Amino acid sequence: MDLHLFSQFLISGLIMGVLYCLMSMGINFIYGIMKVINWSMGEFFMIGAFIQYLLLESFIGSEYWYIGVIISACAVFVLGALVQVILIKPMFVGIIEAKMEYVTIITIALAIFLRNLALLIGGPYIYTPPDYAKPTQLLTLPLSGNRLVAFIGALVLLGLFYFFIKKSWTGKAFQGVAQNRAGVQTSGVNVLRYDMLAFGLGTALAGAGGALMAPIFSVHPLCGLAPTIRGFEIIVIAGLGSIPGILVAGLLLGFAESLGSAFISPSFVDIYGFILLVIVLSIKPYGMFGKAERTV
Amino acid sequence: MNLFHTKYLVFLILVLFAAFLPMYIGEYWQYVLTIAFFYAILAASWNLLSGYTGLFSLAHHAFGMIGAYTSTLLMAKAGIPFWMSIPAGILLTMLISSLMGIMCLRVSGLYLALITWAFAEVARNYFRLHYTFTGGDRGLESSLLFGTIQPTPYYYLFLGLLIATIILIVLIMRSRIGYYLKAIRDDSIAARSMGVNIVRYKIFAFAVSSGLAGMAGAFYGHSIGLISPIMGDFNEMAMIIIFVVIGGIRTMPGPIIGAIAVRILMELLRAQSEVRILILSLLVIIIMRFFNGGLMELYRQIKQWINKDKNGGTSAYHEIETPKQGES
Repeated sequence: MDLHLFSQFLISGLIMGVLYCLMSMGINFIYGIMKVINWSMGEFFMIGAFIQYLLLESFIGSEYWYIGVIISACAVFVLGALVQVILIKPMFVGIIEAKMEYVTIITIALAIFLRNLALLIGGPYIYTPPDYAKPTQLLTLPLSGNRLVAFIGALVLLGLFYFFIKKSWTGKAFQGVAQNRAGVQTSGVNVLRYDMLAFGLGTALAGAGGALMAPIFSVHPLCGLAPTIRGFEIIVIAGLGSIPGILVAGLLLGFAESLGSAFISPSFVDIYGFILLVIVLSIKPYGMFGKAERTV
Repeated sequence: MNLFHTKYLVFLILVLFAAFLPMYIGEYWQYVLTIAFFYAILAASWNLLSGYTGLFSLAHHAFGMIGAYTSTLLMAKAGIPFWMSIPAGILLTMLISSLMGIMCLRVSGLYLALITWAFAEVARNYFRLHYTFTGGDRGLESSLLFGTIQPTPYYYLFLGLLIATIILIVLIMRSRIGYYLKAIRDDSIAARSMGVNIVRYKIFAFAVSSGLAGMAGAFYGHSIGLISPIMGDFNEMAMIIIFVVIGGIRTMPGPIIGAIAVRILMELLRAQSEVRILILSLLVIIIMRFFNGGLMELYRQIKQWINKDKNGGTSAYHEIETPKQGES
């Protein structure tokens, strides 16, 4: 294999890795605040992609796709916050038992519900939105414009999110909630409201991801599945609750997939990530950057 | 243990009823009930693993699929007869699930769910993508166990398997091991400090429950004659969860009642096939949100209400609520 092809696979791995990061960042953020996993993340991704497709096809032209991304992210934010208020919030008021099991079952049922609702409304067809950008060249390497645009968009979103969490007052309140829910209440942070915001923001990241990646993954009722599997794999590899770990693990997964499909066989692309996961878990059971949970 | 307790009598009557049922219903409903029994085995064994032991696995359907594919592939490619290929399928499932159990030993709750989920998706994708060997999405033809597509023998086969599963799970839960498993669910550290070998019993729970799933899957493949990666679709896992939640998690008859009732309901709603899964998932959300306990909880409340009436307003069974302190 020559250097030219090798670097092409490397770039493809880099791009896909960053795109997967966006997905797992949302799951990780919700976990960090609420200590539960949202299993219907892929369906919010799918809803974002569907809204983006509808916007591009019927309301705004394909040249304003970036406005579509913002609108679909906002719409998914509202939907996610609504779901949190109606279904999940009541479990977080007062004394609760086994909320992890409750949220797992509720969000899995919600995922099935949304997936089949999309199937009922949109039918089992694959929609392809118009291209966001023309194919370009990076030095001598050909590069899909859609992927480049999605890569830059994902980087921008991740950067904005990072600065929001690290610099703004609200972001610091989020950090406080993640560290100690009881303690942060004594300093006047309404934990339940931040739960709602966190759920909305996490799902909005998935929705924005869906809108950005609509031309790459196409738009159909199951299009959220593949990115969600990667998102969960990244989280397990990185360890729950670690932001830099997610970037490292996402890039690692992207490289593992593209190099695995280059050197071994492209048909087992879904399996390389799992092999990586097994290797990491057998060495460090809580992921590369995770800390052992206290189970008391 | 009094064998003439009401519970055993009810169980016996239900078994006799199920045994004589095929004389009165058509082949179509026999087939429906056969499939319902298959799902009841999956639901009951998932309840053993996730309800009683608290290991929230999302790979149960995948173990059923692995059992089915192992047995069918052994028969088709190596020419091994039924009586060897089906046990081989069960053994392989138990082996894989034990390895999974060992891998998941040091991780708790969410990690376990994530890892098992990823495993199930990977297994499904393997069977889909390695199509030269497994037949891929087109499916794989499996030879029929009784050489006929007439459903009555398969009905009795699955009825027998279901009864065997129920007896096995009841025996486990009534023995010393059952208390160990419950102790691991409630507080694994306390269980370990009381001398329960949690490593051994976690792997035991994984192996037994997945072995049951593998057995159900292997027989299922040889009963319907065609297996495909659809068996490993996440919808199947969601259906198992739906059965268990609607019936009542952590109860013995709950998953079985839930599976059979929901399968019959799904058949009745066959004309609106797109809507039925929507209705079921909404039902699960509503049950979990407002009524945490399913059909068995409803039964318990009705029984309690009747008892209260009989005793003139004072309940004989006081439910002592001891909620655990949450984090919030």
